[in-house]
Amino acid sequence: MPIVSVQHVSKDYMLGKTVVPAVRDVSLDIDQGEFLSIAGPSGSGKTTLLNLIGCVDTPTSGTVVVNGQDTTRLSERALTDLRLRTLGFIFQSFNLVSVLSVFQNVEYPLLLQGGSTRKERADRVLSLLDAVGIAAYGRHRPSELSGGQRQRVAIARALVTRPRIVLADEPTANLDSQTGANIIDLMKEMNAKDGTTFIFSTHDPKVMAHANAVVRIADGRLAGREELGAAAGAVR
Amino acid sequence: MIARRDTVRILLRIAFRNLLASPVRTAILGAIILVGSLIVVVGSSVLDSIDRGMRTSIQGSLGGQLQIYDGRSEDQLALYGDMTGESRLEPIEDFAALKAVVAEVPNVKQVVPMGIDQAMVSSGNAFDLALERLRADVRRLEAGEDGPALRAAYAAHKAHVRRMAELLRDELAAARTIIDLEGRDAEERKKDWADLVRASDPAFWDGFDRDRYGALELLENRIAPLAMEGGFTFLRYVGTDPKAFFEAFPLAEVSEGEMIPEGRRGILVGAQYADEWLKLKNARRLDQIKDARDRRGKRIADDEELQRWVRENRSGIREILLQLDPVRAEEVATALRAGLGADAGDDLEKLLVRLFATTDETFDRHHDLFYAVVAPRLRLYLVNVGDVITIKAPSKSGYFSSVNVKVYGFLRFKGIERSGIAGMMSVMDLHSFRDLYGYLTPERAEEIRRMQAELGAREISREDAEAALFGGGGDLVAEGRTGAIDESGLVARAAAPGEKEDLSARVYTREETERGVALNAAVTLHDPRRGAETAKAIRAALDAAGLGFKEVTGPDGGKVRTGARVIDWQEASGIVGQFVTLLRVVLFTAVVIFFAIALVIINNAMVMATLQRVKEIGTMRAIGTQRRFVVVMLLVEIATVGLVFGVGGALLGGGVVALIRAAGGIPATTDMLYFVFSGPALFPKLYPTSVAGSLVVVLLVSILSALYPALLAMRVTPVEAMASEE
Repeated sequence: MPIVSVQHVSKDYMLGKTVVPAVRDVSLDIDQGEFLSIAGPSGSGKTTLLNLIGCVDTPTSGTVVVNGQDTTRLSERALTDLRLRTLGFIFQSFNLVSVLSVFQNVEYPLLLQGGSTRKERADRVLSLLDAVGIAAYGRHRPSELSGGQRQRVAIARALVTRPRIVLADEPTANLDSQTGANIIDLMKEMNAKDGTTFIFSTHDPKVMAHANAVVRIADGRLAGREELGAAAGAVR
Repeated sequence: MIARRDTVRILLRIAFRNLLASPVRTAILGAIILVGSLIVVVGSSVLDSIDRGMRTSIQGSLGGQLQIYDGRSEDQLALYGDMTGESRLEPIEDFAALKAVVAEVPNVKQVVPMGIDQAMVSSGNAFDLALERLRADVRRLEAGEDGPALRAAYAAHKAHVRRMAELLRDELAAARTIIDLEGRDAEERKKDWADLVRASDPAFWDGFDRDRYGALELLENRIAPLAMEGGFTFLRYVGTDPKAFFEAFPLAEVSEGEMIPEGRRGILVGAQYADEWLKLKNARRLDQIKDARDRRGKRIADDEELQRWVRENRSGIREILLQLDPVRAEEVATALRAGLGADAGDDLEKLLVRLFATTDETFDRHHDLFYAVVAPRLRLYLVNVGDVITIKAPSKSGYFSSVNVKVYGFLRFKGIERSGIAGMMSVMDLHSFRDLYGYLTPERAEEIRRMQAELGAREISREDAEAALFGGGGDLVAEGRTGAIDESGLVARAAAPGEKEDLSARVYTREETERGVALNAAVTLHDPRRGAETAKAIRAALDAAGLGFKEVTGPDGGKVRTGARVIDWQEASGIVGQFVTLLRVVLFTAVVIFFAIALVIINNAMVMATLQRVKEIGTMRAIGTQRRFVVVMLLVEIATVGLVFGVGGALLGGGVVALIRAAGGIPATTDMLYFVFSGPALFPKLYPTSVAGSLVVVLLVSILSALYPALLAMRVTPVEAMASEE
């Protein structure tokens, strides 16, 4: 059973009085442990598709099943909870909470989840900061870090709750190519280590090359799925 | 719930850090909240102190905690009068019966009978006084007394009257140039003039000793009426049982003289009233100038009012000249010459003008000189302790009646002596009040009984009188006035004033005093805080005794009210009592306006802050933050500002209050303020309720102003986090 199942999903936006279709009748299954890239030019609907999978947006028609739950049937509250416990997010512009330190940013989702002691949280956060290679920056504010470092913090934050799926919208778009490559390597490493499913959008062919599969999207429609090799964490 | 505590901690952390992240915005919001909290704390503490001051003033001087008056009254009881003067009250017919019921109610300490009204007091004139002294000397001489001291006094008093006659002649000589000697009263005026010429003629005085009484007669009957400066002033008094009054009202004290002996008739004249109306005008004006200079920091050089007083003092010396006999006049002139460093040739008039023509530089010296040299030789007050004064008033039934009462002393109310509201009040015995007001007193009742016995009259009620006399219907009976009104006595006394037995020596029992009419009753309580509760108990007790207040629709459809009405001191003090309420409304309005503006400003700032943080909020929502958390986060943020700066403002307010106290309080610059502050200055006190109140208001306003921004924040969707632009 796929971890994400998108069936005949369409999403329209209203732009004034005209209906702008962003995603048109897309069906897509994603398996646990995949390291999947959604590729396409700007405005093709990548982000909308990611938002639908990430439960931050709801489809106009069709169904999105995430981790066995039909998101179109969930309340706002339940969707929020699903995002908190099952999903992790990495954003193009990192989106860290500027007033919190690196450590506190990573700890934040654990606090929302509750049920953990301070020690448990500290252990988890520190091990992740160590894993993404910024253990030395725990007390720093995001503004004191470079773009690559910030994205590492974002990855740590996305993974801290041990989500089954991590969604990343153009995670390397705001980074230089070397740093971007390092970030993709890091994500891939995490994918390999824990079997976390990674779904990321990109229009950079070099980044796509790291994925085990590329789903191409153009004008809101699925243009095909291309297998590049077995994902390191795939459990088929 | 470890996690719950951690959640709170992260909320506070984010809130604090956000506040610190935009220090300018936080400072502006903080300053607004600080000022608001400061206003509320200082304003309400000043108001609470005023409230307390008024409470002390009113409860301690006249009001007690509760007041009872007759429900039939047209007006509501107003202890300090209202816009139209004294309130028109129907009398409580039998005060003793009322007291018997009310005094039994728990928590009631005292029930004091009262009748407040205004009366006229003849303020007399200096010529009368001088004549009175001369007459006393003449009486002693004619009785065969003699001696150098008496001879000297006699000579001085004679010279005094002579001087006055001369002064009057000079005045009239000046006036003759403008008065009409051809008109209707021409003959009369010519006769006056002839009399004055005669009384100021040396021959008249040389022959004075040949016919002392004959000479006195001319002076008393013909000359004294020409010195017309005497007039009437109005005296506000409360007729009461003086002993009970002083027991019930702790602020009352005798400032000069003695207490009216128990059961006696008599009056204690309000000290401030005496200062204002009975004191020699020039002395009074000197006092006023001194007060304005010392207490209000005014200067003669730049204050129009003070300059006017100085001018009036310079031209008002006639009264002093009239009062001084030649011996004293010379003493004063000698002392003034030395004190003012004047030439030997300057006469008294010139010296007095110089004394009163003060500047800021000379004022204090001249003021002291007046009180050291001139004042001791003058009758400073028209009424002195021991005098018997005649007071007149239109009685309830329209006749003018008058009573003679002995002045036992002067009355003041501690702390509020200067207040025109309390300080004007005099205290008189209840019997004199009843006489004046036209109610039956024990003497009148006794007299009527005696006359009835002598004439064999039979007692018939007023309503039946006509039927009894004429056998007709009772329709023509004029007014169903209370039987306690003693109309025949009033007519008799109006016709023959002064022909009365000497009542001043009579001692009345308390029973006699209380059995009769009063206009209202002041009730003091053991525990003043339980006023409302006790009022209820009194009403119940009165109802049970058949004396309670009732309002029924009469046969003609109008409302008929009967029984005793019980109101609290605030209600009873009329417009005076509403002063605090008025101030509260003013402060409340100011605070509401301030916080309405604050609300808009804080709201705006928070909306801006929310819009700036849309992406951050979106991110938080995307990674699993519930809406509720976002709302609470914003509220915590503004509540933190509110609390921190609200407490700061309250502390600052406390500091301001302490500073005001340290600086000697807020000075009472007017007599009204004396009453309101219950003293010469208001010492505001910080009450915990003020502080708590200000914090509640500040927090409420903060949270209210954050509601709309919180709603905006709640509407931020996680999609906003995905927007790629930074």
